[in-house]
Amino acid sequence: MMPAVIVPAPDALPLPAPVFLLQILLHLTFLLHLVAMNAMLGGLILTFYARLKGGDPSAPWTKLADTLSKVTPSLVAATVTLGVAPLLFLQTIYGQFFFTSSILMGWGWFSVVVVLIFAYYGTYLQSFKGRALGGSRTPLLGVTLLLFLWIGFMFSNNTSLMLNVKEWAAMYFASPKGLHLNLGDAQLAPRYMHMVLGSVAVAGLMLAWWGRARVRAADPSGEFMVTVGMNAFTWLTLVNILIGLWYYVAQPAHVRKLFMGGDITATALFGVGFVLGIVMVVAGFRGSKHGSRIELWPLTMLTLIQLVTMIMMRDTVRNGTLGADFRPATFEVQPQVLNLVIFAVMLVGGLVLLFWMLRQFYVAWNR
Amino acid sequence: MNYPVWELPMGGGVLIAVVSILHVFVSHFAIGGGLWLVVTEMRANRNRDLDLRAFVKRHSRFFLLLTLVFGAISGVGIWTTIGLVSPHGTSALIHGYVWGWAMEWVFFFIEIAAAIVYYYGWDKLNTNVHEAIGWIYFGAAFISLVIINGIITFMLTPGGWLENQNFWTGFFNPTYRPSLVIRTFAGTAIAGMFTLLTAANLARGNFRGRVTRWNAGWAFFSMLGVIGGAFWYKSAIGVWDANEALLGAIPVLPVVAGYFKIGLIITTALAVIPLLVPKLWNKGLVAVLLIVGLMTMGAGEWLREAGRKPFVINGYMYSTGMLVSDTARVEDAGMAASARWISPEAATSEVRLGHDLYLAYCQVCHTMDGYNGLRPFLAQWDEETVASLVPLTGHMRALMPPWYGTEEENAALTAYLMTEKPPEPGLWPADPVAAEQLAWDISCGLCHTVSGFRPLIDSFAGQSPEEIDGFLDESGDIVDEMPAYFGTAEQRAALVRFLHKMNPPEGAGDQAAARPGGNEGRDS
Repeated sequence: MMPAVIVPAPDALPLPAPVFLLQILLHLTFLLHLVAMNAMLGGLILTFYARLKGGDPSAPWTKLADTLSKVTPSLVAATVTLGVAPLLFLQTIYGQFFFTSSILMGWGWFSVVVVLIFAYYGTYLQSFKGRALGGSRTPLLGVTLLLFLWIGFMFSNNTSLMLNVKEWAAMYFASPKGLHLNLGDAQLAPRYMHMVLGSVAVAGLMLAWWGRARVRAADPSGEFMVTVGMNAFTWLTLVNILIGLWYYVAQPAHVRKLFMGGDITATALFGVGFVLGIVMVVAGFRGSKHGSRIELWPLTMLTLIQLVTMIMMRDTVRNGTLGADFRPATFEVQPQVLNLVIFAVMLVGGLVLLFWMLRQFYVAWNR
Repeated sequence: MNYPVWELPMGGGVLIAVVSILHVFVSHFAIGGGLWLVVTEMRANRNRDLDLRAFVKRHSRFFLLLTLVFGAISGVGIWTTIGLVSPHGTSALIHGYVWGWAMEWVFFFIEIAAAIVYYYGWDKLNTNVHEAIGWIYFGAAFISLVIINGIITFMLTPGGWLENQNFWTGFFNPTYRPSLVIRTFAGTAIAGMFTLLTAANLARGNFRGRVTRWNAGWAFFSMLGVIGGAFWYKSAIGVWDANEALLGAIPVLPVVAGYFKIGLIITTALAVIPLLVPKLWNKGLVAVLLIVGLMTMGAGEWLREAGRKPFVINGYMYSTGMLVSDTARVEDAGMAASARWISPEAATSEVRLGHDLYLAYCQVCHTMDGYNGLRPFLAQWDEETVASLVPLTGHMRALMPPWYGTEEENAALTAYLMTEKPPEPGLWPADPVAAEQLAWDISCGLCHTVSGFRPLIDSFAGQSPEEIDGFLDESGDIVDEMPAYFGTAEQRAALVRFLHKMNPPEGAGDQAAARPGGNEGRDS
């Protein structure tokens, strides 16, 4: 017997803000999370690569790995903190879907917490103990990286399983033990790879910024950082264009159609994303010739626009796949205006405080 | 009901408890410890006490590693876990309090950033700025408590929110202020405990004595604050009608309350030692102090959680996800029709229907062999007994959510439960006292206690075993909720002995006093 499609009802309590506002907050905070995650995960992959290339302590690859290892823990902190907000807004808008997929993959989703604690300590181990770890330093780094890759894989599983509504009932009735993943979904692999490779490209760009700042501060080690960073950025963006196309092909037909004229915005986003990808690659190759004298602002702006485009495409895929199962127009809304204002004021105040602290820190470190 | 249910061998409640008790201990340390850091640093700076300053710096690394990694991630972990075990409750908390969580997130963010700047800023930032960052850290951490405390206490005592569903009415609810006091002092107490740990690793000498006494002061005086807050909390609670819950209406509660009280006393007493005689203090004692502190905190949180039974949000939503406002509709429609995740197979298989109903309505609190395990009961019951008890669950003293099964659904649940009955007949204890206790647990004890909630202690006063035995024949005719006695001859004999001993003749060994309240401690 074919089980029916089951979708939980939306929460009985009204939403405290219009859906569009929550969507904006979701996308905005997700963008911040994405940038931090890219720096962290991409940086960690680059660190591991550098460690493998390695050599003696004075070799440029080793020095690069040492430098990167120092900042990873703080990047994990930034990723986690910036990840909380989009997860909150996701659960607010898409709770019906997100809670269900989380339960179906219960152990996998729960594992994220445990694995993250170990992975996070793994980065501190590299940062605080460093050379004292001796021969186990690189293997330990490899394990830490694998743990983070596992976490990313669980996120890709969950964010795609929450859309795979038609499979839920069969999964649950086959076993309620929370051992499912979304492995049968064709879009899982490209979705995950797109994210991981993209993170290395973005981290490469950041590394180039860091290297250039070092060169300008008369530290010659910066030159190498720019080269490595720009290589990562350019080559992985190139590969990611292909993965992106695979990701597109793996979509269900009705979603693909949206991007091929079925929906003007979706089609435009697809076009912009594709063209931007090519422009980024070409600009990356051309810029790389200039070494540390490279102009990074144009590339960075292109990348930021590309990230926003990708987030919006992802949203189109999400809403397109859910189709009639997700009807935000029917959600009851009772705006809590005062609370929204309080939040906004706190956020602005918090940002001011944050910049003040970072500025103090920056000045002190450069003294 | 609305969401699928994760079938966990140990039970969802246990998973939540493990994650949250560890988190709560460390997260309170993150608050109180933040205050300790900045206050102690200022003291060191004012007195030009370089030893003390080095001690603070050393402790701050431990603080960073424990609170930033374990503390922060396990906090996200609670959220993840409650979303898996109680998605309906989590969703309701998020819908009602999105802006509360969003505000909390701002301070969480500042807190984490400040902790990093504070740690990496040692000896780089000038003293005033470093202290200012310390205060920013503590301020942000404390405000995040101020916010979360509103949402947590709301779940137990939503107060006027039930009428107006207003954010702030629910936030500043009847237990908000006492809970904030308890948690604030708990934070500084735990700060004292963990800094005593750091101090125990110092070489013995004057400095170690001085810093041990300082830290012990934090622990001891804060514990007095916690105790004061606990008295206030108890008087403010007002949700446990006539304290029925504490009398055994919620079986586990009286025992946990006992642990909590004893834990408070031991923790406070232990903290006196390093305050008065720092020389006696050592690593072993600090380990004991931390473990007792953790268990006491766990008991406190458990009390709050268990005290909410059978609700996730008191008076609004049952732990099964059923809304109080929805009960009439569920009663009309039946349990299966009100649960979404009933498999198509259930239409043709009674056992499958029973299984799916069990998952939807029972699994959230019960397991078969672990927490709130049902198999030990099933082992002693026959099918007729289970069938007679299924419709009565709402009346049992564990305060279960209402069950509105149709006859068909009751039969299906019974059929499924019988498949979980061990194939061998349940072993009857050879020890007479254990047998008497078990005979009580699986019959009268389901709804009554000896001397607490719905007490039976006076009911059989002066009656002979024969009279009690005769009463069992008539027990089904007294009130609708009470079934006829259903035990085997062996169980019946043991139960009669239990009921007879409950109220012993004067001068005899006081059995009842030896187990006040009977089996209140048993989880159910």
